[in-house]
Amino acid sequence: MGLEDFKAMVHRCSRCSYCKWIPFAHVKSWRFAKGCPSIEYHSFQSYSASGRLCISLALLEERISCFDEGLPDIVFKCMLDGCCDVACKVCRYDLEPLEVMRNLRFRLIDNGCFPIQDIPLIDNLRKEDNMMMARKADRANWAAGLSLKDLTTEKADVVLHVGCRLSFDEELWRIPQTAVTLLLDAGVDVGILGRDENCCGGRLYDMGYRGEFLKYAENNIDAWRNAGATTVVTTCSDCYHAFKRLYPEELHAPMNVLHITEFLEQLIAKGKIAFKKSLPLKITYHDPCHLGRRGEPYIPWEGRQKKIRGQILVYEPRKPRNNGACGVYDAPRNVLRSIPGIQLFEMERNREFAWCCGAGAGVRERYPEFSFWTAGERIEEAYATGAEALVSACPHCERNFLDALDQRGDSLKVFDVLDLVREAR
Amino acid sequence: MSTSNCKEALAQIVDGEHVCDNPEVIAAYASDNSFDPPKKPLAVVRPTDSSQVQALVAWAYKTKTPLVPVSSGPPHFLGDTVPAAEGAVIVDLSRMNKIIMIDRRNRVVIIEPGVTYNMVQPALAREGLRLSMPLMPRATKSVLGSVLEREPITNPRYAWSLTEPLRCLEAVLGDGSRLRTGEMAGASISTSAGQVMDYAPLEEVLEKRRKIQETVLYQYGPGQFNYYKLVSAAQGTMGIVTWASLRCEVLPEVEKFFLVPAPKIAPLIDFAYRLLRLRFHDALFIVNGARLAFMLGENRDQITRYQQELPPWVLILGVAGRGLLPRDKVSFLEKDIKDIAQHCGIDLKSNIGSVHGDHINDLVLKPSPDPYWKLRSKGGCQDIFFLSTLNRASEFISTMVSEATAHGYTASDIGMYIQPTHLGTSCHMEFNLPFHPAAEHEVQTVKELYQSASYALSGQGAFFSRPYGMWSSIAFGRNPMHTDVLRKIKALFDPHYILNPGKLCFQDTP
Amino acid sequence: MPLEREVYKELESVVGPEHITEEPATLFSYAYQWMAELVPDVSGGGKFFDRPEAVLVPGGVEEVQAIVRLCNRYGLKFHVYSTGWGPWAAPPSGGQILLDLRRMNRILEIDEQNMFAVVEPYVVAAQLQAEAMKRGLNVHISGAGAGTSVLANACCFQGGGPDCIYFDSPQNSILSIEWVMPTGDILRTGSLGSGLGWFCAEGPGPSTQGIIRGALGGSGGWGVVTKIAIRLVHWPGPPVMPIEGTVPAYRTKLPADQFRATFPAFPSWQSFADAIYHIYDSEIGYIAHRQYVMWGDELQAAFLKIVSDPDRQLCDLEELLHMPEIQKLTDEMRRCFQLILVGMTPRDLEYQLKVLDRILEQTGGWNVALVNEPAMQQYVLLYMMRLCFKNLNFTATGGFIDTYNSVASPDIWASGEIEAGKKLLKKYAGRIADAGDQAMGPIAGQGGGGVTGWEDFLFYDPHDPDSVQAAIEVSDEGDRLKAQQGRPPGGMLLGLARTTHTEEKVRAQKLVHAREYQWQRKLKQIFDPNGIGSGNYLWAAEPSTNGEST
Repeated sequence: MGLEDFKAMVHRCSRCSYCKWIPFAHVKSWRFAKGCPSIEYHSFQSYSASGRLCISLALLEERISCFDEGLPDIVFKCMLDGCCDVACKVCRYDLEPLEVMRNLRFRLIDNGCFPIQDIPLIDNLRKEDNMMMARKADRANWAAGLSLKDLTTEKADVVLHVGCRLSFDEELWRIPQTAVTLLLDAGVDVGILGRDENCCGGRLYDMGYRGEFLKYAENNIDAWRNAGATTVVTTCSDCYHAFKRLYPEELHAPMNVLHITEFLEQLIAKGKIAFKKSLPLKITYHDPCHLGRRGEPYIPWEGRQKKIRGQILVYEPRKPRNNGACGVYDAPRNVLRSIPGIQLFEMERNREFAWCCGAGAGVRERYPEFSFWTAGERIEEAYATGAEALVSACPHCERNFLDALDQRGDSLKVFDVLDLVREAR
Repeated sequence: MSTSNCKEALAQIVDGEHVCDNPEVIAAYASDNSFDPPKKPLAVVRPTDSSQVQALVAWAYKTKTPLVPVSSGPPHFLGDTVPAAEGAVIVDLSRMNKIIMIDRRNRVVIIEPGVTYNMVQPALAREGLRLSMPLMPRATKSVLGSVLEREPITNPRYAWSLTEPLRCLEAVLGDGSRLRTGEMAGASISTSAGQVMDYAPLEEVLEKRRKIQETVLYQYGPGQFNYYKLVSAAQGTMGIVTWASLRCEVLPEVEKFFLVPAPKIAPLIDFAYRLLRLRFHDALFIVNGARLAFMLGENRDQITRYQQELPPWVLILGVAGRGLLPRDKVSFLEKDIKDIAQHCGIDLKSNIGSVHGDHINDLVLKPSPDPYWKLRSKGGCQDIFFLSTLNRASEFISTMVSEATAHGYTASDIGMYIQPTHLGTSCHMEFNLPFHPAAEHEVQTVKELYQSASYALSGQGAFFSRPYGMWSSIAFGRNPMHTDVLRKIKALFDPHYILNPGKLCFQDTP
Repeated sequence: MPLEREVYKELESVVGPEHITEEPATLFSYAYQWMAELVPDVSGGGKFFDRPEAVLVPGGVEEVQAIVRLCNRYGLKFHVYSTGWGPWAAPPSGGQILLDLRRMNRILEIDEQNMFAVVEPYVVAAQLQAEAMKRGLNVHISGAGAGTSVLANACCFQGGGPDCIYFDSPQNSILSIEWVMPTGDILRTGSLGSGLGWFCAEGPGPSTQGIIRGALGGSGGWGVVTKIAIRLVHWPGPPVMPIEGTVPAYRTKLPADQFRATFPAFPSWQSFADAIYHIYDSEIGYIAHRQYVMWGDELQAAFLKIVSDPDRQLCDLEELLHMPEIQKLTDEMRRCFQLILVGMTPRDLEYQLKVLDRILEQTGGWNVALVNEPAMQQYVLLYMMRLCFKNLNFTATGGFIDTYNSVASPDIWASGEIEAGKKLLKKYAGRIADAGDQAMGPIAGQGGGGVTGWEDFLFYDPHDPDSVQAAIEVSDEGDRLKAQQGRPPGGMLLGLARTTHTEEKVRAQKLVHAREYQWQRKLKQIFDPNGIGSGNYLWAAEPSTNGEST
């Protein structure tokens, strides 16, 4: 679909502003009622989902041009975190604001209207297959010394995909390393693609580079097939979203995809992971957007919109809704709750209406100040729970929190779910 | 203008017999019980309907004659009906005393300005209604006068705003034109062939509206401004109201009054706040022993006896049941209120000494019998009243007592009345200072105390929202922008400053 | 026409470069509004009204004042909005700047004892309600819902809603106001202006609040209200409303001995009206509204099933409508409304329920059993208490307006106007949604009752030109029918959209007969001498001697 296909939808936006807030039912305070970092930081209406819908229409009606100087800034200063999409769909069954915003990005990128900050990033990606400005040759350094199957030459039931962030962020290597230990200890037949692991492409897609995304997606699917894997397990929520939703959507390639927390939840339930230590820690859990509301499974649908009772708009056949109801929220929480001593406090904005960490859709790379401000807001919310540590299940979120904390001179602890599992064993 | 010219002109508008320059009558309007300086009006005219008022104002506009609208009968206490300008004509509205409509189903009444509580309440009671009232108004008090001047009502639950129960009204503006407000505005305009016409007669409009199920309860507008707010607490300076609709209460089938005595006011304030929160009350106010004695005692001796007998503070609470199952209502309220009282460590009583519920019933639900209670103690009374919040009552009481002591006025003689209003967001505080008008020294003491205490209380945070007499300089001095805006509004609705000139902040003709 | 560079620079120096923009894309985002397509002479039938020349996002009253003064100096018109939902939020015409008040978003104070809060323009009802509830208090929420500005609803637009029976209309809930007048002067009304706090709305003397709003507020065209104190009411529930359920079918479980959602339903419109009078007289109810009929009396039961079930979708509508139990429910609900009873104590609720039973007994009515199902009870309590699902107004087709409204005494329900509205909508069924009686509205528009009424909803598809045209035709025909009966026009929303987006000269002619609007013209001349407020402040031209407007 292209932007043109969304014209009718855009006409039907009521500009109610629900997209700027968490679902109003869940508002518990003045402080943490907002849902959209983009408009909170940039103030103008155009920096909201409904604003971007208006802009899409203005573009389609040629009132503005892709080449207008300020347009990329408005379009790309957004994590596409999808809180807007959830809040919108509390009442609307026929609008897809996130889809429209993504297609608006595709339109700009297809016209060569990208932020200048992308140039080195994309250059490096094309050369080194990663988004981290790192060398492909170093991709498997994190796994040095681990006795893991190399799936470029061997076969395994499960392929562990760790993603660009965890491959190149040395401070976070402990996360995939723990994952490997846990999986091997549990007797899982698992391997990695090592230095041949590719970027998942999910971030590229959100940044507007749909063509590049497709290239990486095809490569990954081929590699997994060649390795004979039936299941992909990933330690990264961005990758999870790409595999779970985008690959089947764009390439019609269904895979059994699990986030590591889902896998761990199963292993704990089966008694394959047991905890020996108590961790007396007050924590709060941050739902990564790509694991939570955007991590809903893709269900194929082909059909049409029709009108009944004169003008009431319905889909025929029934169209699956992606409104955040089926994201991965409980698996990480169940893992955390199973660790002795842990006290889990919820932030006001959680699950399908969690506030974003600020790292997504290229914002960290393109607009670091905005990205850290967004993380800072989440850190404040974590503090408000009285927790000593902020725990998540996505290395992008964790890195952004760590850097924001560093910039603020704060000392809140940041953990991945895997860190706590490791410590408690 | 000479008196005779004036009288002649007025007689063209109103029957000659209702135009008066008799010296005794003139003298009656030349002063009141306040300390405001007396001034004789030129004449007194008593119109009988809205069109006569309109004609009077048109004449005054043309001749630039000051008009002082007066709706209540004497005794007056606030100086607002004493002319401030020379050559004024008193427009006495007491003959305009029609109850134009009572609509039981929609709980609304339309009355003219000369209607008193004693006139309207029995008529309403026959229909199963009543009007919310201020505490013990004098028998001659105009209902519209009270409402328009934002006098507080005793039931703060029905004080949806400070102007309740005022709804729609018609006013004659300073240029002689008429304005109807709220839902009676656009609805009653008669136009044809592009010409703006005058309003259709009220009865005709009401009849037409009845047929389309419309009433006279929506007070807002016309358009994007609320004239009814501009004419409130205006002392007749913004227009002469010729009729208004008022929202009524359903007459309770069961009503009980409780007295809550206390040596100190603090627990009563706490109790009042709790009741206000839950809206479990009808009448709800706090008085000191002196004030209660003033209201209960029929003469000086009785007042003294009551003063000795009554506790320092009494909260008066009415509980009522209306509509379906009124007894059930009162029954559950009594149980819950007793629980609350217990929590506050206070006792609900149905009598204190010789004062029992029936006394309170009369006191809260009826106007004062003659002589007016304010005059029974010593023959004169100067009030100080203002708005604040209930939690600050003690501070103002301390100040008032200190001021009285400093001026040699016996503090225990001060009547004190604390009336929560606007659903509990604010309260009217009132101090009554009785004095013997014939005792020159006493008069001087009260005058000085009144002035000094007014300044002290204002400095402490008292808001003189209805600034009579000397309070106008205090109140308007604190908010120059509001004053400037009011003067501009005044100039719009009364371009020649003929409506009660000299009152409020309207001293100088623009 | 773009702003002169000198003017732009001066405005920029007030708010800082990051809070002013002329970026075309952003300007269009402020021109897009619901209903624009219904005013084709301005929008060309599209979604955009006139765009502003620049948008400013001021951070406080000083900046607002400085901007307004610059507007006066340069003769530049300005329009202002807070949450900005609705056609009146877009600039009424070209050549204006727009002030977006979203940065002025603080709750400055909540006075728990005296029951009021002080807020800036961009505090929405959900926020204030959440904070108030922590203190055992609650706030009136406008019919537009939890996402709209508390201040704008109270002072600047209309602001009524389902809870007026207990909370009263917002006009009466306003205490002191801080208002940047069209001249740039700052007026602080009531006790605030005397430096004595926020508790009092009026005085000293006449209330200057009277020129800030009337039946309607200035709608962004009459200075800028920058702070208000708003009266709150008691909340006997938990400090945080507990939310359960799967998105979007959120629910709240409130103590059953103090909270009860009911659906009183009646055999005739006369008994419906009689019940309202009983409710007024007996003083029961915290919220009373005919809410779900907005989907039509023929569809409301099915729609309610859909929106309260996370697994349901609009495409289930036809299936549901064929189910015998839904058909039965549809009949049961036809003449019903939603009444939320809140006991300040358990005894209070017990009493109110008893009164309701007596009312139903006397009127031959019933409480629709559906609402007693636990999940539905919780859904309805949340819906009505927070009004967090108000955008469901747009769910059916993406567009709605009201058409055949009535505001009157409760007897209006038995006047035949409901049937007349239904007949009107049926006539156009197909081009608009075919839903039946869509008379949604408050059982009481005022504290303690008194005035009631409804908006006759109409669902049209904003993307379908024929449906848009039908909406216009229905609204116009409704107005004609109302006029024939001597009733006020019924189509409020389209009426406002048209009036606020018509050229001032045309508007002035339209209003020539409304003499009250001539007083507004005079007020405008006094308080906006340079005419810099946008055209949303409606005034009439002075009639000349031959009756023509000038």
